[in-house]
Amino acid sequence: MAVRVEPRTPGWQRGRVASWLVTTDHKRIGILYITTALAFFVLAGIMAMLMRLQLAQEDVGLLGPDRYNELVTIHGTAMIFLVVVPILAGLGNFLLPLMIGARDVAFPRLNALSYWLFAFGGLVLMLSFFADGGAAKSGWTAYAPLSTQDPGNGQDLWILSVHILTAASVAGAINFIVTIHNLRARGMSWTRMPLFVWSIYVFSWLLMATLPSLSAGLTMLLLDRGISIGGWEAQTNFFDASQGGSAVLYQHAFWFFGHPEVYVMALPAFGIISEVIPVFARKPIFGYKAVAFSTVAIGFFSMLLWAHHMFTVGLPNSLNGFFMVTSMVIAIPTGVKIFNWLATLWRGNLIFETPMLFALGFLSIFTIGGLSGIYLAAFPIDWQVHDTYFVVAHFHYVILGGSVFAIFAALYYWWPKMFGKVLDDRLGKWHFWFLFIGFNITFFPQHMLGLEGMPRRVYTYSNGEWEGYNLASTIGSWVMAIGLLFFAWNVERTWRKGKRVGNDPWQADTLEWYATSPPPAHNFDDVPYVTSARPLYDLRRRLREKDGYKAPL
Amino acid sequence: MRALLATTGLLLLATALAPAALAGNGGFAPVSPESPNAERIHDTWIFVSIFIGAIFVLVEVVLVTFIWRYRRQRRERFEDGPQIHGATSIELIWTVAPVVILFLIGGFVFYKLPGIADVPRASASGEERLEMQVTGRQFYWQYEYPNGAVAIDTLRAPAGVPVRLEITAPDEDVIHSWWIPALGGKIDAIPGVTTETWFEAERPGIYEGQCAELCGLEHAKMLASVEVLPADEFASWLAERDSEQASVGLGEEEWQGACAKCHGLGGEGGIAPLIVGSPVLTDPEALEEIVRNGRGEMPAVGSGWSEKQMDALIAYLRENPPSGR
Repeated sequence: MAVRVEPRTPGWQRGRVASWLVTTDHKRIGILYITTALAFFVLAGIMAMLMRLQLAQEDVGLLGPDRYNELVTIHGTAMIFLVVVPILAGLGNFLLPLMIGARDVAFPRLNALSYWLFAFGGLVLMLSFFADGGAAKSGWTAYAPLSTQDPGNGQDLWILSVHILTAASVAGAINFIVTIHNLRARGMSWTRMPLFVWSIYVFSWLLMATLPSLSAGLTMLLLDRGISIGGWEAQTNFFDASQGGSAVLYQHAFWFFGHPEVYVMALPAFGIISEVIPVFARKPIFGYKAVAFSTVAIGFFSMLLWAHHMFTVGLPNSLNGFFMVTSMVIAIPTGVKIFNWLATLWRGNLIFETPMLFALGFLSIFTIGGLSGIYLAAFPIDWQVHDTYFVVAHFHYVILGGSVFAIFAALYYWWPKMFGKVLDDRLGKWHFWFLFIGFNITFFPQHMLGLEGMPRRVYTYSNGEWEGYNLASTIGSWVMAIGLLFFAWNVERTWRKGKRVGNDPWQADTLEWYATSPPPAHNFDDVPYVTSARPLYDLRRRLREKDGYKAPL
Repeated sequence: MRALLATTGLLLLATALAPAALAGNGGFAPVSPESPNAERIHDTWIFVSIFIGAIFVLVEVVLVTFIWRYRRQRRERFEDGPQIHGATSIELIWTVAPVVILFLIGGFVFYKLPGIADVPRASASGEERLEMQVTGRQFYWQYEYPNGAVAIDTLRAPAGVPVRLEITAPDEDVIHSWWIPALGGKIDAIPGVTTETWFEAERPGIYEGQCAELCGLEHAKMLASVEVLPADEFASWLAERDSEQASVGLGEEEWQGACAKCHGLGGEGGIAPLIVGSPVLTDPEALEEIVRNGRGEMPAVGSGWSEKQMDALIAYLRENPPSGR
């Protein structure tokens, strides 16, 4: 075998910190993504707690309207652009090359650029609180003309930040697509790809297809706000009705991106669940092809239903009807996934360790989020619940109860692969139960608030009947916070005295468990020929047949 | 075990809450409808709920049953379950069954839609409908009656007569959303766009709602209400509001709707400065200038007001100067 000569690393790049700053290793970049996003998660979570405190009773007076609107805006933007999507991208970064048996992603430097753009974009957003006039105050949707009229610089920084994050996402998406097309191990045909890789593949195409629409909308927003370069000033009127512009145009541009973005957050979560459930049920996934194909179908249909966010702008009812039908159509492949996961549990040997608990928690919660979406799709019902706390409850059931629960399943499941140590199961269970119960106490009552008429994005309310549910919701947010503290404690404890584990502590099915834990910089010394969607299961079976090898217990 | 208990608890809770859901109170269904369009939305909600409830119970029961039935018990930690890879016939069933359900839901929506969206020309007893102009502004609602009378935030309407609302926002304003839950769904008030909705309330009473689209700092204070009056009371109110003497009533509404949400009911200040004793309040020309054009962060709350509206505010402030409380 030929000796490979690595280029020499300059001395200044070998330091403990410096090596992380200059790294192009997909595993380290993945870990950077995840840790940075978790830091933003803490910040955006504190913002949510403040808002819940303000709403615990009527007229609490903790936050004024300006501060509240800033928090609403930055909490939403940060949770979506700085937390959920980057953690999923980070997991994709860490896992994708390992899962397909590759040395690294196709463009390691582009990968590093993508991370650093994300990190700086996030800083811009967080620091915009210190801007002249405070942070942006028009919600994460930044509807014109409210967003074009705000005189402060916060809105400009918001646009800048999201623009940077968009560029980061496009770079990452290109990288994932090229890697999946070109670097799969020998024998790994499209139908032998892990389902998480399928989900990252569709995730990447969705970003590629829809981010340009967001960028266009944001650029028009920026120009409508007016720009001035060295004394030369310009201002457009795309969304200004007094000059013949259209405010509704912005909503189309935004939601053409905004709805697929929901699936950008949901599909990799589905992928995680499709990896975790079979391993902890000791069975193959039920209906591999149905699950993979439903991922593609969801990706496709997600680009055809954006105007269900605009049922109240007065579109013709024929158009509302079209978007109702497309919104309902997407429930079908989503249902297919849920039924296949249930069927995977059927007759399994279920092991309730923390990753499985989060996966099962995901199943029970996401089902509620999916079903409440059907009310929203039926547009006359949406005329009642649109822009109320019912919608707030719905999308937290989907994004927090769905994607974030899946993310925790993934962190507990792949932690040993990332750091060579397994997270403590007892603390993990405390984490899960506090989060699961706290989540439902926080968000279930919000359905009722919405139906009783409480709009979203209000800093206070004067209807005493809403106080009970609001108080429950605030108490639930503290229960969730305790759950998250258990996670922090768990990470710290595992870091100090966690149990070291071997390559494959869960007796799992996919290629990443063939590498050591953590994997070396080059990932694999050799990659086995892939004979099915479960190469490690095949390997264990062959070993067992040949030498009577028994899997270590 | 604990997973089982928790999920079972959740299911019990859902079952316990079902009667409340059907009764339409406690937030388990849209607020009790007081207008035919709201009633039909409520019907649609109930119809959809039957299917959603059934699917919810099915999925969660199957999940809990499987968690209980197929837990590891005394089997070895990594003992494999049966290697079942799927079944095409089952996949087809759970693909087609939802199609049928969604077809039913979609069909029901289109069946109810005309009764929700189409504005009746007249009531069953032949009363011609009332045509209203509604304008959403930062941060109040302005209503114009066919005879030119104006009201702010509280819309008076006759009982038993269809009321058609033409809704918009001034070009220089932002998007708002008109919503009185008991009287139907919401519809946005968008600069440069005119949308419509309607209601027909049988029972006199006050029905409350508020702006449902984030419209700026005092979005939370942009309340709206509809006061449904018996037809004769409504007629006399409208005649009085249209007459010259009543302008103080309008002025009070303008003060409360357009000024007090930021400056405080007594002018004591809130998110906007204290204005008690401000010379502007007693100087009609200065007052008109600032109300029509705004200043600094203050929006032009009175741009487009008629002379009569402006006079009403001036007259009200002359007689009721804000005292601080």
